[in-house]
Amino acid sequence: MNFRSSLYSRREVIRSLVGSSLLLPGLVSNLLAEDASSDPLAPKPSHFPAKAKRVIFIFSNGGVSHMDTFDHKPKLFAADGKTMGIGGGLSNQQRRLLKPGWEFKPGGKCGTMVSDLFPHLRECMDDICLIKSMKSDDNEHYQATLAIHTGSFFFSRPSIGSWISYGLGTANQNLPSFVAISAGSPYAGTQIFNNDFLPAYHQGVRVVPGKEPIANLDRRTKQSSVQELELGLADALNQRHLNARGHDSELAARIRTFETAFHMQTEAREVFDLSKESDETFALYGMKRDQTDRFGWPCLVARRLAERGLRFIELVDGSSSHNWDQHGDMAEHAKHAKNLDQPVAGLLKDLKRRGMLEDTLVVWTTEFGRTPGVDGDKGRGHHSACFSSWLAGAGVNAGTSYGSTDEIGSTVVENRVHVHDFHATILHLLGMDHEKLTFRHGGRDYRLTDVHGNVVQALLA
Amino acid sequence: MVRHNTAVASWLIALVCLSLSDHLVSAEAVFVRAVNLNGPALVVDGRAWDGTDATNVTISGKRFENQAVALKPATDPKRAQMICSSVWGDKVSVEVTALTPGTYQVLLYVWEDTINEQFDLLVNDQVVFEKFNSGTAGSWKKLGPWKCESRDGKIKVSARAPGHGAANFSGIELWAGDGAIPEVAKPQFVTTLTSEQTEFFERKIRPVLVEHCYECHSSGAKKIKGGLVLDSRAGIMKGGDTGPAITPGQPDASLLIQAIRHTDPEMVMPKQKLPAHVIADFENWVKMGAPDPRAEDTVAVAQAKSAIDWNKARDWWSFRPVESPSVPAVKQKRWPMNDLDRFILARLEKENLKPAVDAEKRALIRRATFDLIGLPPTPEEVDAFLKDKSRDAFAKVVDRLLASPSYGERWGRHWLDVVRYADTAGDNSDFPIPQMHRYRDWVISALNRDLPYDQFVREQLAGDLLPGKTTQETHERLIATGYIANARRFGSRVDDYPQHLTIEDTLDNLGKAFLGLTIGCARCHDHKFDPLPTADYYALYGIFQSTRYPWPGIELDQKQRDLVPLVELGGLAEFEAARKAHDDEKRRLDRVVKKLRDSLKGTPAAEKKAVEVRIKDAEKAVNEFAARPLPFELAYAVAEAKKAVNVPIQIKGDPAKPGDVVPRRFLTVLGAQTLPSNDASSGRRQLADWMVDRNNPLAARVMANRIWLHHFGKGLVPTPNDFGKQGKAPTHPELLDWLASQFIESGWSMKAMHRIIMLSRTYQLASTRSDDAIARDANNDLLSSFPRRRLDAESIRDTLLVLGGNLDTSPPKPHPFPPQTEWKFTQHNPFKAVYESKRRSVYLMTQRIQRHPYLAIFDGADPSTSTAARTTSTTPLQALFLLNDKFVHEQSQSFAARILKAAKEEPARIQFAYETALGRPAEKVELEQCRKFLNDARQRLAESGISTSDIELETWRAMVRALLRLNEFVYLD
Repeated sequence: MNFRSSLYSRREVIRSLVGSSLLLPGLVSNLLAEDASSDPLAPKPSHFPAKAKRVIFIFSNGGVSHMDTFDHKPKLFAADGKTMGIGGGLSNQQRRLLKPGWEFKPGGKCGTMVSDLFPHLRECMDDICLIKSMKSDDNEHYQATLAIHTGSFFFSRPSIGSWISYGLGTANQNLPSFVAISAGSPYAGTQIFNNDFLPAYHQGVRVVPGKEPIANLDRRTKQSSVQELELGLADALNQRHLNARGHDSELAARIRTFETAFHMQTEAREVFDLSKESDETFALYGMKRDQTDRFGWPCLVARRLAERGLRFIELVDGSSSHNWDQHGDMAEHAKHAKNLDQPVAGLLKDLKRRGMLEDTLVVWTTEFGRTPGVDGDKGRGHHSACFSSWLAGAGVNAGTSYGSTDEIGSTVVENRVHVHDFHATILHLLGMDHEKLTFRHGGRDYRLTDVHGNVVQALLA
Repeated sequence: MVRHNTAVASWLIALVCLSLSDHLVSAEAVFVRAVNLNGPALVVDGRAWDGTDATNVTISGKRFENQAVALKPATDPKRAQMICSSVWGDKVSVEVTALTPGTYQVLLYVWEDTINEQFDLLVNDQVVFEKFNSGTAGSWKKLGPWKCESRDGKIKVSARAPGHGAANFSGIELWAGDGAIPEVAKPQFVTTLTSEQTEFFERKIRPVLVEHCYECHSSGAKKIKGGLVLDSRAGIMKGGDTGPAITPGQPDASLLIQAIRHTDPEMVMPKQKLPAHVIADFENWVKMGAPDPRAEDTVAVAQAKSAIDWNKARDWWSFRPVESPSVPAVKQKRWPMNDLDRFILARLEKENLKPAVDAEKRALIRRATFDLIGLPPTPEEVDAFLKDKSRDAFAKVVDRLLASPSYGERWGRHWLDVVRYADTAGDNSDFPIPQMHRYRDWVISALNRDLPYDQFVREQLAGDLLPGKTTQETHERLIATGYIANARRFGSRVDDYPQHLTIEDTLDNLGKAFLGLTIGCARCHDHKFDPLPTADYYALYGIFQSTRYPWPGIELDQKQRDLVPLVELGGLAEFEAARKAHDDEKRRLDRVVKKLRDSLKGTPAAEKKAVEVRIKDAEKAVNEFAARPLPFELAYAVAEAKKAVNVPIQIKGDPAKPGDVVPRRFLTVLGAQTLPSNDASSGRRQLADWMVDRNNPLAARVMANRIWLHHFGKGLVPTPNDFGKQGKAPTHPELLDWLASQFIESGWSMKAMHRIIMLSRTYQLASTRSDDAIARDANNDLLSSFPRRRLDAESIRDTLLVLGGNLDTSPPKPHPFPPQTEWKFTQHNPFKAVYESKRRSVYLMTQRIQRHPYLAIFDGADPSTSTAARTTSTTPLQALFLLNDKFVHEQSQSFAARILKAAKEEPARIQFAYETALGRPAEKVELEQCRKFLNDARQRLAESGISTSDIELETWRAMVRALLRLNEFVYLD
């Protein structure tokens, strides 16, 4: 705090604590909570007590095949190449069944079957609550991707991260509440981490792995001491302007944002600076030091953001043009799984050993599954009738699997979990009632779950 | 969306057809035979069906069975078994032979096991159903009856799917004669009850209905849900919005039973599932024929209850006629400058609040300039105003600003917010619309010309139907309908393109923009708060169903079509000829491809490769040719559709569930004007007139409120897009009506409204707020002072360009989109671009589904939906932008260079910077602070080792950056 000449409010003193020390995140967030009135991002109480304080939401683009990963279908292995099943790209024609490409083995003490695509995640199944009966309503990437993020298939609506930021605020005022780490552009573009009609504070801040993870984060002026002078002058003149106008919280709030931004230049930078992480940690995430082009970087950064009290951290795996959408050859799944498996398992293990899995909810999902019948030569088509997702961490019924599909994974036969139910359950795990988390817009109260959704009790610990 | 009732609907249609034919012939048709096309012989509807192995029938198609799919609606087990096992394929057919000659009727069972497919159905090779859509998984339909003659003792039923569709045929029925097909002897509702049945009802059924259902489903309910009442036999028989609650004798086919079984997660009643034995009681009751001793009919009561009381509805403030209220008397007679002030002052006097002092001239000209043109006043303009001591000095400023072409750029942007303008289509791939800018430019020009608002509305809704006096005027009006054309596009498919969503987007916007009504809410159900029944929604829907929208290109059909040519009057023939020539050439190229393909069959294997290469080349030629635009200027605008139609209500907003057909007309609450009976047009021209009819109180009120909003930062009605019950009431209702009548009287002149508002004393007050006002009128609703506000995103960016001396004011050019011949956008690789520009921000290319990175940070309009008023958020990302963004640094650099050139001495330079950026000279203290800063900065820069010659410019760049971060820079007093 070099540029501020006078007038430290209590809040600002607290903030300077946050800025200079990260040792007491709990204490700081408590102090900030007491001063919640003036800040739209200040921590807010949940509707009811809950274990989960934050979410790491991992989204795999393109449609991950359930029968090749988490939904074990022994009968499908016996497919003779003549039996017909749902196949084809978007048209769901009758096609010969394609057997899964990878063997399944039990994982953890619970013995949940997971394919050889995910050997590391298989070890974590005791911490995971697997859902094998997910259901979406649209067979196109765009619509299904929009829906798994916003609950809406066609119209743009606030992202789940924005809703949660709006509902709970955030613990660290020097960082945004909602961050989306996305190397490429996902389906449906920026809509999937957009605040839409919610106030802009709740917009997901895009983080791009690499040199400048957040836009304008890097000081453009070469001399930091000159920037301090600039901010000092602006601050003094702003204070004068404010004093002449008496009470105006908006003017005061804007003065504060420069202070926060000033600290973000260093603190956010510090988050992305992985140099102090140990070799052992890098190994756990299956990555090399300084490597930013694989999924290890987002996972490790997610842990660091979680430590600093961010509310919602989304990790986007793949992009609209490079992803799990294997119409021609399912063997390509191996490449994408290899990118995802060890880093995500590493993240779960790392959170666990630091005690953070106690209050962090980790979600993995995709937009839809793939067809049991063949598409192209050796590929599978889009299949929204069923797919697999999982939850791990705070408040989750770990070491179990829920719901089932038919013998070939073509349709849900038991305990369907629709996208809206999935969202309702995530909000519940954070202590929020999905029917009460509403925002008045255009003459009506909107919800993440629109007019649908039921909390799936069986997924709760 | 789960569809309950598609099959029931088709049953009903079949029944209606039958009852019609009843009038013509008396003899009933005679059952001949029925065949289960993939399975054993069985009994359906009490009739014996043959199995697949039957004689005299040839079935071609692939066999397929999936009994696990839940049928919608559920049906009896035998029928379900027959349906779920079928023959399928893109060329499936059934031929029944050895029939006696004569007239027959055919009924066909089809179903869908996964997702919808589309195909044509044929009987004896004649199409009887074009583009049949099979619906969602589990949907089944009994189609027909189709009349036909047997040919050589044969009747053939087949499907043809030119695209990817594949039909699932489950069974056929054949009936002889053209008489009515008798209904199956189904169990009827029991109406004469035995004493046991009465007791069963009273003990097992009625108590459960009362306890678990009546709260929402009885004539006594506070609010009847789903249009269903269960407190009388008539209510149960009639059912709710989704059809009869009970099919007597068939529990599985009864919606009530499905609901209590929680079969369908979308219809779970009651929420807490009833005990199994209670559900069993209900099943038994339905099996018995639902014996119900209750004689009273509650349906009428319920219907009366949910009907809209139109007299009461029209009494809502915004639906009442606009009256020109008398101007209130005030005590401080010398305070008002015009009548507007009397309305404001009367309220202040009533609340005993004192108005603030008048704004200083510097603040006033800065306020007015940003307000009308979105740019800062130049120091010369400020100076001239200060020196002008005449009484009408400010009026002169207002007139000057209104005459500036920048006025339209500023106020046009406000309108573009409301109509959710975008330069792309919004489908999955977000196709560019290279012609869209014409509409944007039309809006800007219309405002600059002060086109009367009623005409402004008419041209946007029906400009194509209002020929102009000159070619230019005709073109302008065509372009204006870009308003409708700009509705969002959805998905990536062509055959089953969801046009209902595009029309929904049209209606949603039209309601908000012109009427301040959320009519989109009436798409699925009657509006819950406002008097807008679903029928009103579909009455308007028909108008747009009868309108041809341009096709922007979409993933699976990448070429623009149906745009409107901008040709000389009478030049249409030339365009049509060119289009025909283009189409002919396309067909010729297609034939080349086909010929080559056909030749492939007879080609020896060794030469095949060469032919395949030629095919590829020929296909490429076709695609390239097809994508080549015609050499005509085009407008992305609408036209009349080939045929005008009335449309059925879509039950629960589902196009697959048609209800009653509604004639095209205007909203009931606003007059329900209809089209002349012989009118074959879409009705858009009439709609445009109804919209701005003097008897429509919303037209003037809504727009007057929008104008007010952009002068004061908040509307008199704080919810400018919602004048209904969910919106907020006006803070000054009489003033709003006074403004609305002034608006109409002025000939709908927006510029006249600006003058009235800006020449009021209310507008010219200082922004300082007294403690008393803060305490008693926290939101400043009473306007005792001018509301301070932040500049919007466009004004901030445009001002930075002005300060840097870099604003490009030359006429805008079309966006540099890639040429159409190269379009290959998909949802995997959607169109995505940000085009750098030094023009005003209104000209930035706006994408529907990607927010412009800068506009997103500073609360720009949401390009996917109507933005009535911008929000003002204050975030660290905005601060980071001003700290570090390249654009800010570039403009700072040019501004610093300007300062160094403008004056020699440091104090003069500081004054120049202040006057230019903030519109005022620096005060003494500020001057000292700035000089100290400059000294410190120089010193630090020198220490940092940069070359001496750069120090001065670098120092001033730092100074400018500090100034651009000031609240005073982005807030208007």
